Amino acid sequence: NLFIKEKGIEFHDFQIILSETKELKKEKKIFNCHRAILASRSHYFKGLFRSKMQEYESGKVEFNDISPKIMEQILLFIYTGNIIISQENALELLIYSHKFLIPDEGLFYHL
Amino acid sequence: MSRKMILRVPKFQEPKRMEKSEAQRLWLLLKDAIVEVQHMNASTLSFEELYRSSYSLVIAKRGDILYTGLEEVNNHHTKNLLDKIAQAVDERFLIELNSQWQQYKLQQIMIHDILMYLDRMYVKEPQLKVFDLGMFKWKQNVLIHSQINDRLVRMLLGLIHMERNGEVIDGALMKSLIQMYVDVSLKEKETYKQEFEERFLLATSHFYKSESNLFITNNSCGAYLKKVEIRLIEEEARIKQYLDESTGPKLIKACEDELIANHMQTMIEMETGCRTMIQNDRFNELKLMYRLFQRVENGLVHLKNEFAGYVRNEGHKIVNQPENLKDPNALITSLIEIRNRFEKTLSQSFANNRDFINSVNTAFESFLNENDKLSESLALFIDKKLRGGFKDSNDQEIDVIMNKVILLFRFLSDKDVFKKFYEHYLAKRLLSGRSFSEDLERTMISKFKQECGNQFTSKMEGMFTDMRLSKDALDGFKNYLQTSVEMGKLPKIDMSVRVLTQGFWPTFPPHSCTLPPLLSQYCDLFTKYYCHAHTGRRIIWQTNIGTAEVTFRLPKKTHVLALSTYQMLIMLLFNDAEKLSLKQMAAGTSISFMDIQRSVKPLYSGKYKVLKRTPAVEKSKELSENDIFELNLNLKCKLHRIKFAATSQTDSEPERQHTRQRVDEDRKIEIDAAIVRIMKSRKALIHNDLIVECTKQLSSRFVPQTSMIKKRIENLIEREYLERFPDDRRRYRYLA
Repeated sequence: NLFIKEKGIEFHDFQIILSETKELKKEKKIFNCHRAILASRSHYFKGLFRSKMQEYESGKVEFNDISPKIMEQILLFIYTGNIIISQENALELLIYSHKFLIPDEGLFYHL
Repeated sequence: MSRKMILRVPKFQEPKRMEKSEAQRLWLLLKDAIVEVQHMNASTLSFEELYRSSYSLVIAKRGDILYTGLEEVNNHHTKNLLDKIAQAVDERFLIELNSQWQQYKLQQIMIHDILMYLDRMYVKEPQLKVFDLGMFKWKQNVLIHSQINDRLVRMLLGLIHMERNGEVIDGALMKSLIQMYVDVSLKEKETYKQEFEERFLLATSHFYKSESNLFITNNSCGAYLKKVEIRLIEEEARIKQYLDESTGPKLIKACEDELIANHMQTMIEMETGCRTMIQNDRFNELKLMYRLFQRVENGLVHLKNEFAGYVRNEGHKIVNQPENLKDPNALITSLIEIRNRFEKTLSQSFANNRDFINSVNTAFESFLNENDKLSESLALFIDKKLRGGFKDSNDQEIDVIMNKVILLFRFLSDKDVFKKFYEHYLAKRLLSGRSFSEDLERTMISKFKQECGNQFTSKMEGMFTDMRLSKDALDGFKNYLQTSVEMGKLPKIDMSVRVLTQGFWPTFPPHSCTLPPLLSQYCDLFTKYYCHAHTGRRIIWQTNIGTAEVTFRLPKKTHVLALSTYQMLIMLLFNDAEKLSLKQMAAGTSISFMDIQRSVKPLYSGKYKVLKRTPAVEKSKELSENDIFELNLNLKCKLHRIKFAATSQTDSEPERQHTRQRVDEDRKIEIDAAIVRIMKSRKALIHNDLIVECTKQLSSRFVPQTSMIKKRIENLIEREYLERFPDDRRRYRYLA
């Protein structure tokens, strides 16, 4: 679980920042990750890096509607192909994996 | 590994309907961003914000606003670009067009990225995907616009024309602009094909048509071939450099048609063309011609026919050259030479193409069987080689020559004639002890065996067995003599006998002669010994093919003469007479007059004359019965042993006739056997079918004449092997 223990992660070149959700209130949650991996598993991130807009320059993107637990599962899936799907997170996982255009064959395999 | 899990989904909440004003706000935001992208100011925009906006619109089922809006914005933008590009003059035009196009393509990728969710979730056939929509707008408003398209194609073709004439052009620019036609094609590169490729191919054909016509009339064929090869390489490079790969086969085909196919006949017939190249063994040029002709339909057929025609012609000349007809050795040597030469052409120029080899072989077959001399010439050639012609060659060279002989042999249609001659000369070699090496003899025979099977060589092998058995028999005979009672009464002579099995050996025409008493006593002894050892066998003495050594005492010197048996008999007569006429010789020996003539000739007309004609007659070649000979006591010769050839090496005409007759006799038997075999299995057959079948069966040995088969059928009917059907005269029935 390379990325979950944020401290240990090496060579990261991009940050995903979560804010403003119920759990976080004023705090921010930061995930360090790798552009190459994100781009290879999600069309959303591929477009984000390819179009070289603001986020490409600043090296970070901020979401204000995703809870850290969901983001964690999505990144877990992106990095490892594994995911823990439960009654509680299933719907949200589906919504966001859809938004990020993650090819979904892998996801359904786990259901 | 699947574990069951019940998924309880919370009650589905209908997403809030988006207000129209909210939708409009989001679209305007996106529109501004798209305009920014089109002005190359993308880096200030937030991807997440734009993506989220388009995502929200699509989720809220407002994709239509986004899609139609995008169409308008693109439309507007491309129309602006058109004006800008069309204004550029001369070379600037291509550069401006290219740079605008490169930017436009990047922008379209970016727009596609922002609107990715729209692209995937909203756009349905037959709507164009976001990126394709951008391409379509460019095509519609820029590329195929009357101000651009024609001008662009003309300039591109102009540049290609310049490059073909040796000038350097900007390949990267060409590639980018030509690729544009491919990129804007929605399916199967239709825009590229319609707008560019078609005109390009036409221009290509046109260019090479005029170039090739001009070049070939002013240059040699070799130079033209090189030119063509270079042109083809250039065009291959052109495809890689800036054309779409789908054009490759078409372009090459167009070039091949103009450069090769249209000029094939000329290249073959022109003065410096194919014929001359073959004549002068210009292997490299022929190789190039082969390579190029191979590329076009039927190209190789032309080349092959030309080559085969030349081979047939050359072979025909050799086979019919008067000098060659007289000298079998020269004939076969020159045949082997041209065979080598053509094999070299085949391997060096024509890649040993099977069709070419076959047609050369067919040509050989046709001229080798043009006259019936060849079977004999070939047998004579081997005869000479095996009599010592191989003396100076090493094993490898010998093997090469033998294989060539086999090769020529393979082309003979009358293998049986060859076989007869070969057996004939082999017998002579063995009996006269003139064979150079038994090993080589056996190698040669084993090669024939490989080629034609056991049956073909069984007689030849039989001859070798006889030679070996004869030696054993002779040893036995010598032991027998020592123990024999009669031996004491007889003076000792060294006699050697060879026992030949009838059937293995060619039949020698029977001749009779009177042997001196001593010799015939020895002969009787041998007959007695042999028939005792092998009961049931009968010995017939063939004195005409024997040899003898005779001591020739002159007043001052003694010589040993190596003679034929007949010559010996003649010489022995001179023990009792000083002068003898031919008639007397014939009477004294009971040899036929013709054999006397042939035996005497070398004795008085060769290099060493042991006989002289009295009175000496000037060069009258024909001997008459009354010519008188006496011993030449003044013989001057440094050699102790003098050899005399009994007959000339080549056979006399009657002997040759005899061999031919024997072949014909054998053929009759073979044909009879074939007919009976066929009829036995078929029971009834129509005349023509029988002839065809019969010819087929015999073709490995010889090509029977139809008239001969007909005669044999008649003969078999007479002998009641077959009968005609009473109601259908053309059908035969087998009579068991």
